[in-house]
Amino acid sequence: MKRNYYILIGLFILFFSGNVYSQDLDALLDAQTKPTVDYATASFKASRIINGHSVEQMKKKQLDFRISHRFGTLNDGAYGLYGLDRSNIHFSLEYGLTDWLMLGVGRGSLNKIYDSFAKFKLYRQSSGEKNMPVSISYLTSIEINSMKFDTTRIQLTPTTFAPRVNYFSSRLTYVNQLLIARKFNDNFSFQLSPTFIHRNLTKTALDKNDIFAMGFGARYKLSKRLSLNAEYFYTLNPNAKVMETRYYNSASIGIDIETGGHVFQIMLTNSQGMREGSFIPQTTDSWLKSGIHLGFNISRVFAFNK
Amino acid sequence: MHLTNNLNIMKKQLIILVILISSVSVFGQDKFIAKNAYISFYSSTPLEDILGESNEAVTILDATKGEVVFQALMTTFHFKRALMEEHFNENYMESSKFPKAKFKGIIEGFNKDMLKAPVANIKITGQLNVHGVEKTITVPGTIGMEAGRLVATAKFKVTPEEYGIVIPSLVRDKIGKEMEITVKDNYVPFGQ
Repeated sequence: MKRNYYILIGLFILFFSGNVYSQDLDALLDAQTKPTVDYATASFKASRIINGHSVEQMKKKQLDFRISHRFGTLNDGAYGLYGLDRSNIHFSLEYGLTDWLMLGVGRGSLNKIYDSFAKFKLYRQSSGEKNMPVSISYLTSIEINSMKFDTTRIQLTPTTFAPRVNYFSSRLTYVNQLLIARKFNDNFSFQLSPTFIHRNLTKTALDKNDIFAMGFGARYKLSKRLSLNAEYFYTLNPNAKVMETRYYNSASIGIDIETGGHVFQIMLTNSQGMREGSFIPQTTDSWLKSGIHLGFNISRVFAFNK
Repeated sequence: MHLTNNLNIMKKQLIILVILISSVSVFGQDKFIAKNAYISFYSSTPLEDILGESNEAVTILDATKGEVVFQALMTTFHFKRALMEEHFNENYMESSKFPKAKFKGIIEGFNKDMLKAPVANIKITGQLNVHGVEKTITVPGTIGMEAGRLVATAKFKVTPEEYGIVIPSLVRDKIGKEMEITVKDNYVPFGQ
């Protein structure tokens, strides 16, 4: 009985080793190929979905030169060529210091705002050896309104005034944003962007200094080089209607066209501002009243790692 | 009785051990592997040069038949320009759908002495599978001993269109009609 048992083991080993020996080369090769972590890449074509940031950023030593325009509103009518007569511009230089840190500086003509930001890649969506369902980035930015202060005095009564000291800090707006995105498949990606904005000085006392908002962004690839994008920022504590000015949530729809080193983004949006401190709390046009701006972003990437 | 039983066991163990050792050694002699093989593709046009390189390809050489298999994951290719890498994976190779390129071929007129001789020219014929398209190709290469190591190389050209890779007219001028593929690897006996 015991003898049979050992013969069985011997046969088994013989069979097994013979099997390994004649094992298909393909299977051997697959066994030797290291398991990999597959990171989701290109969840979005550019570092912006439309107005707001996406989880994408420049890799190390890559520079993105961006030029953006937003024209006037469609309800300017034929007289204003449906908004094309008015235009505001924003341009920026954005550089990948490392694969996980991008720094940018920019200037927009709306309110003459200078801005600078840092975007940190915290987590990357991955499958395979390491599983992570979403990509998460953190964006922090400071915007400096460089418009001349509109007053140097404070009205106390209809006839008496006191001098007003204008501080530099009054020009500053701070933006903090988490970007949480998932690339569901090759074509569809979705992003949530919880946002906190602090403005040191608001236009009126009725405006809020602290603004909380939630951004929703999505893209659907229509072809390899063309995608349809949509974006909506829901302001949780919107400003009250101040005088004649009413504020709306920012809603945009656009397409991305990729041509090698360029990405063209063409959009319709009710926001005129191109930075978080502008388009999230200070969108004054409404889609329902044809307060729609045509606009575009052009991204040109230069590589410095020769 | 007790003694013979023990002897019996020892005998069996010895046989098992011999079988194990012999199977391992046979196995070791006949197969060679390179786990960090180099593969690159290069395209040159007056407008732009494109070079993608990977040092993570795996290849096995079976010295009984002169059979070679070679496999590279598309995402292990790296480029100087990050955008090139992105476009390579997203737009051209469609790496999520076709994660690897693979070649399986036989060295023409192979005999085992070629592995001990100095580097000499060879030809390999086999199937190249890229982007989900399989083609039979014959590629020139070299194999042999160089500085005490078994080295193999190959250099050949492929056209993207043959493998169903569509290059839009907008960037056609920047991407060469042909890609030059270079392969280099140092084989070591399997299992070492």
